[in-house]
Amino acid sequence: MLKNVISHRELIAVLAWKSIALRYKQAYLGIAWAVIKPLTLMLIFSLLRSIVGIDTGAVPYAVLTFAALLPWLFFQEAASEGVNSIVGNAHLIRKIYFPREVFPVTAVATKLVEFAINYVILLGLMAYYGIYPSAQALWVPVLVCYAALISLAIALVGAALNVYYRDVSAALPLVLNLLMYASPVIYPLSLVQEKLLANHAAGDWSRFLYAVYTANPLAGLIDAFQRVMLRGEPPDVHAMLPGLISVAIALPISYLLFKRAESWFADVI
Amino acid sequence: MSIIEVRGVAKEFRLGQLHGIKQSLQNAIARVRRQPLEPQPFVKALEEIDFGVAPGEVLGIIGHNGAGKSTLLKVIAGITSPTRGHVSVRGRVAPLIELGAGLVPELTGRENIFINASILGMRRAEIKAKFDDIVAFAELEQFIDTPIKRYSSGMAVRLGFAIATSVDADILIVDEVLAVGDLAFQRKCFDRMEEIMKRRGNTVLLVSHNIRQVERMCSRVILLDHGRIVSDGRAAEVCDRFFKQSNAKIHQFTHRSTSGVIRTSGEAEVMDVETLDATGRPTDEITSGQPLRVRVNFELQRPLAQPEIIVGTHTTDFVYLTGSSTAILDNRPSLEAGRHEVELTLSSFPLTAGVYCIRFVILDRTRRVVFAGDNLRSFIVSPRASEAREEGLRMLNIPAAWVMDGHELTEPALLERSG
Repeated sequence: MLKNVISHRELIAVLAWKSIALRYKQAYLGIAWAVIKPLTLMLIFSLLRSIVGIDTGAVPYAVLTFAALLPWLFFQEAASEGVNSIVGNAHLIRKIYFPREVFPVTAVATKLVEFAINYVILLGLMAYYGIYPSAQALWVPVLVCYAALISLAIALVGAALNVYYRDVSAALPLVLNLLMYASPVIYPLSLVQEKLLANHAAGDWSRFLYAVYTANPLAGLIDAFQRVMLRGEPPDVHAMLPGLISVAIALPISYLLFKRAESWFADVI
Repeated sequence: MSIIEVRGVAKEFRLGQLHGIKQSLQNAIARVRRQPLEPQPFVKALEEIDFGVAPGEVLGIIGHNGAGKSTLLKVIAGITSPTRGHVSVRGRVAPLIELGAGLVPELTGRENIFINASILGMRRAEIKAKFDDIVAFAELEQFIDTPIKRYSSGMAVRLGFAIATSVDADILIVDEVLAVGDLAFQRKCFDRMEEIMKRRGNTVLLVSHNIRQVERMCSRVILLDHGRIVSDGRAAEVCDRFFKQSNAKIHQFTHRSTSGVIRTSGEAEVMDVETLDATGRPTDEITSGQPLRVRVNFELQRPLAQPEIIVGTHTTDFVYLTGSSTAILDNRPSLEAGRHEVELTLSSFPLTAGVYCIRFVILDRTRRVVFAGDNLRSFIVSPRASEAREEGLRMLNIPAAWVMDGHELTEPALLERSG
C-alpha cells in the first residue's frame, strides 16, 4: 500500500488540492470555514461545561477542549470523507484505473490542510492563555500520522462497503457522533482514569472497562495530543497501547477487504 | 512478444438490482450452511476473447452497440476484472476514454490541465513542460484562466482532447474520442491521432463507430458481435464485413417496418416495389455508381387520364435525393382501371454506401394527389472497391478526372466491383 501511495503522491497532492480549492472557491468566507467549526464547538462545550462542571486541572477548559477537537475533527472528517471517496468519484472509477486507495488516502490528506490551519489557531489560543509548547510538541507529527492511520482503518473498509451498501454513508455520521462521546473530547481522559482506576467506580470491572475505553485509539490519541501540546508531558503509553493494538489489527484487515472489493467497484458503483 | 495478451477472457454482469444487506446476509448464511444459493440472472458481455497485440500495432475494435467493445477496453485498462480468463499488459497504459471525464467545471482551464493530466498519469514536471503545447493545441490561450463552466461545450472537449493526447504511454486506449469540435478542429484531432500512432510508434487500441477512420488508421481490426470475436484480420477486410453486416441490419429494420408513409385518395394502391439489378432480377443491394432500376406494381380503382408518376429516392432520415417525374414527357399515357407496372432506370446512382429508400407518387392531370408514399422500400448501396482510400467527407461518388502538370491521372473504374 505504501508503495502505491508513494508512486502516486503527485496525483494525491493534486487531487487533495482540487478538493480544497473546490470546497472554498465560491464561498465568501473561503478557508475560514475550516476554523469556524472547531471554534463553534469549543464555545458550545465551554457553555455546557459552565453548567455541568468538568475538572480540567491547571489547563483552561477552552484550550483543552480545542486541543481535543483538533485530532477529533481531523479523524471525523477524514473518515467520513474517506468513506464517501469511492462513491463520490464514481465518474473516475468507471473511466480510468489507478490504485483505488488513492481516493481514501487523498481524502485523509485533504484534511491535513485544515488540521494545519487549526493548529495555528491552537497556538494562538495557547499564547492567549499564556501556555507555551515544550520540546514534547515534536511528538505532533507522529500523532498526526497515527490519526491518519486510524482514519484510514475506517475509511478503507467503509469506502468499499459503501460501494455495495449506501447504508454505510447514512449510518456513519451517527456512529461517529456516538464515538465522540466515547472519546475524551468534551471531558479529559484524566476524568475517566480517576473514576475507573482510582475510585473503582465499576467495582471489579473497572480495569476491564478502562481497557475497553482505551481500545478506542482516539482516547489515547486525544490524550497524547493534549499532553504534548498543553502539559509538556510525553504521551501516556499505558493509555495508548490498547488503541495501538486495535489499529494494528484493524488497518491491515481493512486494507485487505478494500483490495478484495476493488476490482468490482467499476461494475457495482 | 505481445505487449497485451488476452486469454480466454469472459465478463458477466449480474442483471437487475443490487440486493440489500438482508439478502446478502441470507446468502452468506446459506453459503456457511452449504445450502444452494439462489441462481442469479446474468448477461455475458464478453465470451472467450483471445488475442495478442504486438508492440507498435494499431488495433481497431469495431462492432454494434452492445457488442462488448467498451467492456473489453475496460478489462484491458484494468478498470474492471474479467470473470474468467486473464489479461496481461506490459507497459504503461493511458486510457483516453471519454474526453473530459474528470474536468472540474468550477476550476479554471489551467487548474484543470494539472488535475486531468495527473489523473491520466503524467508527472508534474512533464505537465509543466507540455503545458503551453496543450493550451496552444486546444486554442484556449485567452481563456486558460476562466472556469471551465464558462466554456462552450466545444472548448471543454478541445481541452480534454489536448490533455489526453499529450500523455506519453506505451499503450494508448482510445474510445470514441476522434472527431470532436468543429470541422477544422476535427481535422487537427485526426492529424494528431495519426501522428501519435504512426510517428511515436505507440501501441494503440482504438474503438470507434467511424469505420472509415478505423479502416484508415488501423493495421488490424477485430470485429466483436455479442461479446465474441467474429472476425480478426486486415483492416480493409474486417471493415468491409462490418459494413455489409451493419447495412443488412439497417435494411432489415427499415424493411420490417414497411410502414411506408402513405397518403392516398383511395383510387390507387401500390402492390409491390422492387429494386432490380442490371439483368432485371430483384435485388436489395447495388454498388455505388451502378445504375438503379425500380419497378412498381400498382392498381387503379378507376381510369386516370394522363396521370403524372414520380419515382424518387430518399435517405432513411427523409432527405429527398432523386425524383423523376413523367410530367416532363409529352406522351404520357392515360391509364385504365386495374393493375399497372412501371419501371424506372437511373443511369447511375452515385450516392455513397448506405441504406436508401424509395418513394412513389401518382398525381392526376390537375396535380391532385392520388397516391403518395415514402419509405416504400429500402435498398443497400455498397461501397466501391476503392472505398478504403476514398475521402470520408462526401455523399456522392461522381466520376472525376485529374490533370496534374499537364498529365492525366486516372481513377479506378467505377464499376470494377458489382453487387
